[in-house]
Amino acid sequence: MRRRRALLPWVLLAPALTVIGLLLLFPLGRIVWLSFREYELRNLVSGESDFIGFANYAALLTDPYLWRIAMVNTVVFAAVAVFTTIVVGTLVALLLATLRPVPRVIVVSCVMVAWAMPAVSGTYVWIWIFDVDNGVVAQALTSLGLLDPSGYNWFADRLFFYAVVTLNIVHGGFPFVAVTVLAGLLTVPKELHEAARIDGAGAWKRFWHVTFPVLRPVFAVVTVLSTIWDFKVFAQIYLMPGGDVGGSRMLNLGVWSYVRSFGHNDYGLGAAIAVLLTLLLLVITVFYLRALFREDGIG
Amino acid sequence: MARRRTHEYVPLTAAAAALVLVATACGTGGGDGGEASDSLLVWIMQGTNPDETEFFEAANTAFTEETGIEVEVEFVPWQDAQNKISTAIAGGTVPDVAELGNTFTPGFADAGALHDLSGYGVDTSQYIPGLMEMGQIGGGVYGVPWYASIRSVVYRSDLFEEHGLEVPENWDELRETAVALSEAEEDMIALPVPGDAQYSVMPWIWGGGGEIAVEGSDGTWTSQIDSEGSRAGVEFFTDLALEHGTSTTGAVNWNEIAVMESFAEEEAAMAILGSANPKAVLEANPDLEGRIGSFTLPGRDGGYMPSFAGGSLLSVFEGTGDEEAAWQYVQHLTGDEFSTRWSEETGFFPGVSASVDEFSASADPVLEPFAVQLKEASRGVPVTPAWTQVEAEKVLVGMQQSILNGEATVDEATAEAADEVERILNGG
Repeated sequence: MRRRRALLPWVLLAPALTVIGLLLLFPLGRIVWLSFREYELRNLVSGESDFIGFANYAALLTDPYLWRIAMVNTVVFAAVAVFTTIVVGTLVALLLATLRPVPRVIVVSCVMVAWAMPAVSGTYVWIWIFDVDNGVVAQALTSLGLLDPSGYNWFADRLFFYAVVTLNIVHGGFPFVAVTVLAGLLTVPKELHEAARIDGAGAWKRFWHVTFPVLRPVFAVVTVLSTIWDFKVFAQIYLMPGGDVGGSRMLNLGVWSYVRSFGHNDYGLGAAIAVLLTLLLLVITVFYLRALFREDGIG
Repeated sequence: MARRRTHEYVPLTAAAAALVLVATACGTGGGDGGEASDSLLVWIMQGTNPDETEFFEAANTAFTEETGIEVEVEFVPWQDAQNKISTAIAGGTVPDVAELGNTFTPGFADAGALHDLSGYGVDTSQYIPGLMEMGQIGGGVYGVPWYASIRSVVYRSDLFEEHGLEVPENWDELRETAVALSEAEEDMIALPVPGDAQYSVMPWIWGGGGEIAVEGSDGTWTSQIDSEGSRAGVEFFTDLALEHGTSTTGAVNWNEIAVMESFAEEEAAMAILGSANPKAVLEANPDLEGRIGSFTLPGRDGGYMPSFAGGSLLSVFEGTGDEEAAWQYVQHLTGDEFSTRWSEETGFFPGVSASVDEFSASADPVLEPFAVQLKEASRGVPVTPAWTQVEAEKVLVGMQQSILNGEATVDEATAEAADEVERILNGG
């Protein structure tokens, strides 16, 4: 009887585990396997390849492009984008929490539209907005006299390039944060806020000392998810002018991995970049969750 | 109100790992088995022919009547083509026949993905040489030319007439004409200098007297992009934008399609366009009918400047078991009847040299300078499997853009591009 009970959860989990195993673990294992092999188009055809140990990793870690361009782009961009997304999302959530039901539904619907926008179409819209000759931004700045009529190619400037990417990502990412935080906000007991108010706490103090501690797990989840998403941004960079040029200063790890694999047909090195990205994310996530829950006294 | 400590029993590392895995997972498609041997699967690049569905219905019906073999055609977008084929090779789901861009062919042939057609007695001399050589690797024939396009200059004949301009016959005249046009038509772009269009850059390298890369007797490649002649050509072209203002800042991000659109929208007065573009321009803007002309790219001191001959080859994939039927189908498509019809419907030149004259005599006169360009001054890219990587890494695009953006001088950018090309072609 006891034994059967121990078996039951596994039986119930089996279908899910099979699916995860097939769709997640197999490709993941394959990527790791690939990263230790010399694997190019020729090997793709023949199906045979040579084990080359850590050669791909050695080539990757000694490539100045990794340290000067790809890693910097990935990490700095993700940090800025995650921070901005969480701040904007939380502000929108706080706004939503104070609204009455009908206006709240209207605002939430508007926010959802931003969420529903597919990455590719969204990116093209941003590219048009910032079009160098005829974009809304260029024309507005020109008519205000802030921009020379001959225009300025912001896509060639790393900072501007990533500013546009950040706008795009924050625009697509804040609704998730807003809705999740809003759901959390609605569970914060009103009495806590009332008590704080009676004690003379202002809006900021009430947020920081009452709302935030209660919602800490919610913030943990949205931060970790946003970090993961923003580390592996692909379409929003690849589709931008200059975002697909092999040697350009605009690539992040994800795009670089793709260009290496499918442009250079060097699947081994591309896989090594992907493994590096995954390890990086794993480390950041572990440290982040640990720090967060240690403060909270859990875990 | 106590919070439930749900994560108490879950090791943190495992939870984090699960989160990372789930959030980073992408869907992976499953592979299908091979198709029945009495039918062929054919991949054709999408969008070359506006009536592609109708064309292939007719071509396939005729083929089935003749041979009893059914044909299924799938249309593949150009930008996905290389990945789709690579993925199909990995999954063992390759088609029997595929249209391959000429610059792709050596890479796939060298990798062993394509069937050697030399055993069928292909007469390679009948095809356009620049295109045919892209299908010939190490004595084998891995594809035959299907259709070709070449870049020349399309211009607004009405504006030339209005301002008393003549067709330029050398570089100086081209610059003078462009400058005169930009002064006469202030709201227009006289001659866009695109940044994301490598085939518009190549002619200037050749026209200045350089080569993109030449193979030495020991098999190593040397790039001449940084030679004096190439630099003069690249400098002339980029100076049109930087010094003479015949282009626009935004053109740095333009590809060939964007250039064509600016011409179709009557923003540009001249443009380096492919031979299939005039037809598309007139379809997009019928008002331009009778108001456009074209001229062959002028040489530095007269004559013609070489231009890149693009186009497609039809290749048969190795290991499908239907190679012979596939070859029959390739012959069917490149045969007289359907290759003529294809050219008429697309505006591309046929891959068979003898048909080029025939086609250009019957087609729009605007195509005539293109035909001259194709026969007199057409070039291909270095014939080596590694070339696709130069294109995929956009080496020439990076060079052109950094000059136009003012981030590098012509000398710096060409030196860097030459190094990159040599590194890639020599297997670095």
